[in-house]
Amino acid sequence: MTLDNGKINARQLNVLVFLYTIGTTVLVIPAGLASAAKQDAWLGGLAGIVIGVIVLGLYIALWRRYPGQTFVGICEAVLGRWLGTLLSIVFVLYSLIGAATVLFYVGNFYNINFLPRTPFLCITALFATIVVMGVRLGLETIARTTELMLPWFLILFVILVATLAPSIEADRIRPVFETGWRHILWAGFTFSETAFMPIVFLFAVFPKVDDGARAWKGMYITALAGGLCVVLVSLLCILILGPDITSRNMFPSYALVKKISIGNFFQRIEAALAGMWFITTYIKTTFYFYGWVTSLSEILKLKNYRSITLPCGFILVALSVVVYPDVVYMQEWDTVVYPPYIWAFCVAVPVLLWLAGLLRKRS
Amino acid sequence: MWIVAGLLAAAGICAATEIPSMVGHKKDLWVFSVLLVLAIALCIAVTQKVPVPNPLDGIAAIFRPIGKLMIRMFE
Repeated sequence: MTLDNGKINARQLNVLVFLYTIGTTVLVIPAGLASAAKQDAWLGGLAGIVIGVIVLGLYIALWRRYPGQTFVGICEAVLGRWLGTLLSIVFVLYSLIGAATVLFYVGNFYNINFLPRTPFLCITALFATIVVMGVRLGLETIARTTELMLPWFLILFVILVATLAPSIEADRIRPVFETGWRHILWAGFTFSETAFMPIVFLFAVFPKVDDGARAWKGMYITALAGGLCVVLVSLLCILILGPDITSRNMFPSYALVKKISIGNFFQRIEAALAGMWFITTYIKTTFYFYGWVTSLSEILKLKNYRSITLPCGFILVALSVVVYPDVVYMQEWDTVVYPPYIWAFCVAVPVLLWLAGLLRKRS
Repeated sequence: MWIVAGLLAAAGICAATEIPSMVGHKKDLWVFSVLLVLAIALCIAVTQKVPVPNPLDGIAAIFRPIGKLMIRMFE
């Protein structure tokens, strides 16, 4: 069945993984890291990268065992028709919730910082429009867009780091390792849950990559690079804002960018730098949405996934309002419910699928 | 009222642009129609402030006890 004939190459996938890892993570995770591990947030981030690389290894192992299969295909190959379909439906629900929550983050961020008088729904509807547009144009178009966006992202990132470097106060990270390994490990979990575990939703993209062997190696490197970018931003937050302000802010890296001031002249450039988050969250929302729409049409065996993108877009916008009634709910849900929720599906299920695949092969 | 009219118009435009490409694929047409009706109903409910059940509440009911346990282990 050919749902999307587009093929992407290894480099495009690697660029995509890089931006996908950074997406939303860079905006919200410094707060999570700082509240868990205080001034050791950056150590927590490094621990998160280690966990993330292990998780990525698991995904690549699963991908190598079933090349050319989407997640839905893997579920059916391993568990048979009925159980496989059941698990695929769970996958669809996860990517739906993922897309809606990320869209809430986008709407919330723009509503608070840039467009306070615009109704929330209008912001998310506009953002969802470009997401749906991208998905309708197909994977090849989105992959090339990510390639086009990469230099812009890198330029903005270099500006961010270079202009902030003079205001670093090295004393703020001391005492190092004060919080102890438990808190650092918990911070690491928080980090990998947001940055690396959602890579499971890229299983909708993996079969479209034409040279898998090259992509595997590259994915480790780009996911690592993406993780390090976020750790660097968290470290700057700690070094400049300090752990307390970082953990209390909803968007600490945005508060950080507001600090940029060179000679009292080059300042208030945060809106320009928000382009960085706009690019990466766009990639993230798009691939959650892509995973949702293509998996749903694969389960239902539709001729073309494009026909259901418009109604799904409406559902996405409506759900983005429903998922988090308020920010307090969001904070509680993200810290208490999200960890076991994401571990269950993004670690436990792939491990089981991989083990079941091993057993099947032997017997 | 205007919002509802606008949403219905948007649904009409969606149907008008998509249905011609699905002629002959009965299942696609069915899935599309069901999803569109669901989507517009959901949008109308949200814009008219009708309470919609939150899927995250359901997820929380399953995972909150485990999450609290995890946090207690690492605090």
